[in-house]
Amino acid sequence: MLTAHQILSLTGISFERKVIIGFVELTIVPLRDTLRFIRLNAKQCRVYRVCLNDQYEANFQYCDPFLDICQSHPTTRSLEVFSNCHLVAAQKIDPDHDSGELHIQVPPEAQHLIGEGRGLRIGIEFSLENSQSGVHFVVPEGEGSLSERSAHMFTYGHSARLWFPCVDSFAEPCTWKLEFTVDENLTAVSCGELVDTINLLNNRQKVFHYVLNTPACAPNIALAVGPFEMYVDPFMNEVTHYCLPQLMPNLKNSVRYLHEAFEFYEETLSTRYPYPCYKQVFVDEVEQDVSAYTTMSIMSTHLLHSIAIIDQTYITRKAMAQAVAEQFFGCFITMQNWSDLWLAKGIAEYLSGLYAKKCFGNNEYRDWIQHELAEVVAYEEQYGGIVLDPLQPPAVGTSGSSRDPFYFPLRNIHTISPRYMEVMRKKSHLVLRMLEQRIGQELLLQVFNKQLSLASNAATTKISGGAWGHLLLSTNLFVKAIFTVTGKNMVVFVDEWVRTGGHAKFSLSSVFNRKRNTVELEIRQDCVSQKGIRKYVGPLLLTIQELDGTFKHTIQIENTVVKHDITCHSKSRRNKKRKIPLCTGEEVDMDLTAMDDSPVLWIRLDPEMSLLRSVTIVQPDYQWQYQLRHERDVTAQNEAIYALDKYSTPATRMALTDTIENEQTFYKVRCKAAHCLTKVANAMVSTWAGPPAMLTIFRKMFGSFSAPHIVRQNNFTNFQHYFLQKTIPVAMAGLRNQHGICPPEVIRFLLDLFKYNDNSKNHYSDNYYRASLIDALTATITPVISVVHQGAPITAESLSADTRLVLEEITRVLNLEKVLPCYKNTATVSCLSAIRRLQQCGHLPSTPTLFRSYSEYGQYVDVRMAAFECLVDYVRVDGRPEDLSSLLTVVENDLDPATRHGLVRLLVKMPPFQKAIKHRLDTESLVHRLWNNVNSLLSNDSRLRCDIVDVYFTLYGTRIPLCLPIPELQGVLRQGHHRDHREREKERQREKELEKEREWEREQEIALMKSYNAKLPTMIKTESGAIKRRADSPPLPPKPFPSSLPPSNMPGPNPLILDNIKKEPIEIKTELPDYVENPELPLSHESMPKDEVKHREYLSENSVSLPGLQGPPGPIGFEPGMFQPKSDPHLASKSKKKKKDKKKHKHKHKHKHSSKGRSSSKDKERSHSIPRDKDKDKSQHASKTPIDLVMRVKEDTRETLSSYSSSPSPPPDNMSASNSTLVID
Amino acid sequence: MEKERNDGGSSNSGAGVGDGRRRLLTAAVSALLLEIGFDAVEPNVLEIFTEMFQCFISEVGNSSRSYCELAGRTEPVLGDVVIALINMGVTLEGLEKFAARPNRHVLAAPPPTQAPRTPAMLSAGQRARPPYHIPAHFPPLPDPHAYVRTPTHKQPVTEYEAIREKAATQKRDVERALTRFLAKTGDTHTLFNTDDNQMFPLIACKPTFPAYLPCLLPTDQVFDFEELEYHFQVANRTEDIPTSTKKEASDGEAEVGDGENNDSRIKCKSENSMFGFSEGD
Repeated sequence: MLTAHQILSLTGISFERKVIIGFVELTIVPLRDTLRFIRLNAKQCRVYRVCLNDQYEANFQYCDPFLDICQSHPTTRSLEVFSNCHLVAAQKIDPDHDSGELHIQVPPEAQHLIGEGRGLRIGIEFSLENSQSGVHFVVPEGEGSLSERSAHMFTYGHSARLWFPCVDSFAEPCTWKLEFTVDENLTAVSCGELVDTINLLNNRQKVFHYVLNTPACAPNIALAVGPFEMYVDPFMNEVTHYCLPQLMPNLKNSVRYLHEAFEFYEETLSTRYPYPCYKQVFVDEVEQDVSAYTTMSIMSTHLLHSIAIIDQTYITRKAMAQAVAEQFFGCFITMQNWSDLWLAKGIAEYLSGLYAKKCFGNNEYRDWIQHELAEVVAYEEQYGGIVLDPLQPPAVGTSGSSRDPFYFPLRNIHTISPRYMEVMRKKSHLVLRMLEQRIGQELLLQVFNKQLSLASNAATTKISGGAWGHLLLSTNLFVKAIFTVTGKNMVVFVDEWVRTGGHAKFSLSSVFNRKRNTVELEIRQDCVSQKGIRKYVGPLLLTIQELDGTFKHTIQIENTVVKHDITCHSKSRRNKKRKIPLCTGEEVDMDLTAMDDSPVLWIRLDPEMSLLRSVTIVQPDYQWQYQLRHERDVTAQNEAIYALDKYSTPATRMALTDTIENEQTFYKVRCKAAHCLTKVANAMVSTWAGPPAMLTIFRKMFGSFSAPHIVRQNNFTNFQHYFLQKTIPVAMAGLRNQHGICPPEVIRFLLDLFKYNDNSKNHYSDNYYRASLIDALTATITPVISVVHQGAPITAESLSADTRLVLEEITRVLNLEKVLPCYKNTATVSCLSAIRRLQQCGHLPSTPTLFRSYSEYGQYVDVRMAAFECLVDYVRVDGRPEDLSSLLTVVENDLDPATRHGLVRLLVKMPPFQKAIKHRLDTESLVHRLWNNVNSLLSNDSRLRCDIVDVYFTLYGTRIPLCLPIPELQGVLRQGHHRDHREREKERQREKELEKEREWEREQEIALMKSYNAKLPTMIKTESGAIKRRADSPPLPPKPFPSSLPPSNMPGPNPLILDNIKKEPIEIKTELPDYVENPELPLSHESMPKDEVKHREYLSENSVSLPGLQGPPGPIGFEPGMFQPKSDPHLASKSKKKKKDKKKHKHKHKHKHSSKGRSSSKDKERSHSIPRDKDKDKSQHASKTPIDLVMRVKEDTRETLSSYSSSPSPPPDNMSASNSTLVID
Repeated sequence: MEKERNDGGSSNSGAGVGDGRRRLLTAAVSALLLEIGFDAVEPNVLEIFTEMFQCFISEVGNSSRSYCELAGRTEPVLGDVVIALINMGVTLEGLEKFAARPNRHVLAAPPPTQAPRTPAMLSAGQRARPPYHIPAHFPPLPDPHAYVRTPTHKQPVTEYEAIREKAATQKRDVERALTRFLAKTGDTHTLFNTDDNQMFPLIACKPTFPAYLPCLLPTDQVFDFEELEYHFQVANRTEDIPTSTKKEASDGEAEVGDGENNDSRIKCKSENSMFGFSEGD
């Protein structure tokens, strides 16, 4: 069955009730005579009637497996099972598999209509109410008529089935006739040419007739209706722009260079733009900034900006150019199968990249490519290698893992994580760029040109010509086309980079051999077995900058370790200063005093980024410094900056300072150098001489002539300087003095910037600059140092002087924004995160109320997202289950789809709790709630569903969530599960160790800092030393521990900590009773698993509490998997295993403990509380668990230092005294 | 009689005058009442009588004046009063007798009040004599400061630092006052758990619909967009620039995107600046 033509007529669009009534007529051409069933796609529509050739009414059935994805496994809660069911469900309605939700039965009396090659018309009447996704009505509250309120509607996503019945496949193009009846003051913008606008008899309504004669597939059909203002492009009359009322000035400014993009693409591809017209509609509340459809793009109204705005211009111009590129590839030429998506996306991205290169320069382009490469590499290392075309396995080396490494199925577009799609798009772009390097840009463009001209020819034919296949592009076709055009066979390349996932990872080290005048290189690929990384075999380009010039070497990589000797061209000479030729041909003077006798200045690996790779190069710091100063390629400069923050020496400082000051350097490199200098300055704080880093530079560049300490009146005409002016204050704010706080000098400097900020003579708005000043203030905030009373509430009076000034500034800016809002409320956005930062550091009480009101519907979308970010962070640190639940309510019910999506992404980025670590938010009801959403409630919104799958994975992994009771059923399968659990345990352990390491580093920093603050360095040192010793010492001798846990001992150490952590009494209390109530629960069969989970937690947290495992059997020391065998104690064979596991535990704890240098406050606390209770601790396990609990809580709240503070230790006597009293209590 | 009328006409002339007249009227009414035989009167009643009495006298005065003006005179004569009384329907018979009644009280004349002195005009400088061509009966010239231009300002502060300081302080004070006022008069958020919100009041945020409008059409700064457009066009023009400056301009443009780092291995020039550069200000 093929679709030849489709009529879509929406006769009623009601904004009040958000309802659409319409009619579609598909003309299909059956491919065989015996067609009994016709399957179409339709979701959330109510179908009233199906008619064949206007004569025969047909019966139909509706079946959507997404309504209950795991129907066959109703009780499962594991993503593994879900993933399979998800794929099955998606394929059940996949139009590429000739199926769909709507099954139309051809009635027997109409059977004669079916004939091979004869057209059959299927008319369907339908209505659409309460759409969950696909169609969005924006109806702002308020006074006035709908059009006065700018009420509008539009379709979003590429899923046409959500708003009309169709064959919702990219591979099924057909011609279209579109009719929309709307109120007379509204405009309907849709695909194709507007052929007619007819006023209906009563003059209250208008009908817009659009005709699309170029075949287009249903997902590329879109509609926008609203009181739009129209602007015909003055340079190209075929292009029309639409915006919401009152935004016309912004529209005119934003689109002023769009014609250049058209010209560029037409010139580059030497093809005419394939359609007769192009429309851009700017609407509110879109999910993605840009969605391209046939002949039109629906864009976010937030892309619009006035002529006075700088930063947004880059984004907007790129976005619009991207949309135009997608007209060529993605809309005109679509994909044969969704797995060919990478081609359409990648080519469009590649083209817009070329445009960006032309528009913004080569440096910007290379910097962007490097950034994308890093992003792809990071994603692959976290989640696994991205296979661009998973449908067809590579011809060779198929032995690789056949199963998907991902927790979501890759075989259907509706089941893929949105984040994956994003990264995949970037990867496609990079792969196409690699292809360009292999076959040459001209030839690649010729390939595109060939595809486009084939498609243009095909588009003018009728469907009967059978040429419409040229409108579709697939990997194989593409390879074939490359072969015909260039004569080069790219199959191997495609197999290697498109059909295989992952990237290469090289590390390079070199030694100069003086005798032989050679450089001995060693290139290793060590991590080939890690996630997302694979072995690379083939040529690899290497450039060595020597004294006599740049030399390229191509090294053949055949193994994981390659050693290679390269003879140097230049003799080492003693000249200290001389002209060195660079790769660009220019000669520069270099000061060679820093070098030793090797003639190598620096080495680079794969400088053109012609592989998907990450590279680690080991070379001495002076080589990095030379690279930073003299290499002309921005990517090399970036690499050098990245490497240099590990070498905190005066020479590095000089190199960075010179880079910041060098007007010839690319501005982004200068900004990065500024941030790097912050780190370097902080590392060499004890030897730092002179004013704070960058202060002199800033004054020199931006200070006024007669009074350098006062910043000049803003003049942003030089954008390089503008970006530096924004960056340097933020970088400076990151500076810390020996006490670990921001130097008062810097804070004063920043406050002066606020004070003297004067934009009155500027041609550009300073809103982004002001926002970055607030960001700078945020960066100065360090954890609170003096807490007057541990338990006293924080009031305005208890703030330190500096904090008060900072807060005053933030308050002023935030208040002013209410009266005089700036562009996109950038200042408010920054203020919100500043307030959150103050809360995190304990300067303000951690409360969510402020953020809640800013996150409400009706605030500007950027402000809302900023508020949600704070709320998500709050929930992570201090939240209660209700707080998380209210966030989920927003995810489920918010009116703005962009917010729903954005919030879920935030939850993925900052998960409320870590996987497999017991947490107060980790509740069963949360599991069920998320599960219900993905399983059935979000049946129509596949993007949000996949978003929530991401959250689910982040919180629980692919297996059954640990907080759920393990069903008895698994007792039968325990052998298998046992293994699974151990695997999982291992994995978890690895993760934890990583996490711990990171934490350790962080805490070391804090500890160091605090040790200065506390002015008790010796004491703390000894303490941490003690702890280390304890951790390194072998596990404590086994102690018998009582099987019954005397609750009377509970309050022992607990109240003390309650006292310290004043913010969390509720959590602790809620958890405690749990514990108290179930002291002998381990014995009760049913609730065992739950309890055991908890105990595992306790255990893993505290090595001191490890009471040895020879004691009476109890819940302690059992992993979830371990538990099952335990419940069946007759199996003698298990005991061995148990022992093994126990050992593992010990090992683990050891690890954890040693790697977990506690912050000094914790140390202190421990030193005060634990020695006292130590004996008790050892003998009574019960008294320990609460500590663990509290420790846990504390860890969670490690950012909210208000709670436990880094106070310069109240005299120990007092402390212990208060302890003892509390204990007595 | 006449005096009384005049007083009535200018009843608002001053509280002191009105007060004295009123007191006199009250005294007259009281005397009449005593004469008739009352020895006490309620204040309200007395007030009413006084009021009636005043109305009567005013009326007589007003209409006498009207008659006098009707007759082309400026000063009323007895006849005018008589006609006025007759016109009001007052019989004149017995009036003389009443006036000559024996037991009538004689009220003391009110103490003379001092006319308030008009304050002397503030005079500055020496008044100039009018020039000879101005006739003497013309009003004198005003004080010289009213028409002579004098350099009044001091040398302004030109020290850059001080000006910036002052401008910054002024701006900040205005902003603070405005926001404080709004915070005091409207809803606020609080950053602390206490109710006391004096130190750092935050104006509560209100949802607006549509939310994007104020943010996309910001009002924090007023731009003359036509001027900006002009600068933009000037900075981006390419046609009429001689080749040498054109090169400079393109160098300037390259700064944003390109710097000098341009890698010669990749043949791509940045030809377009992303925005304009307004070189001259």
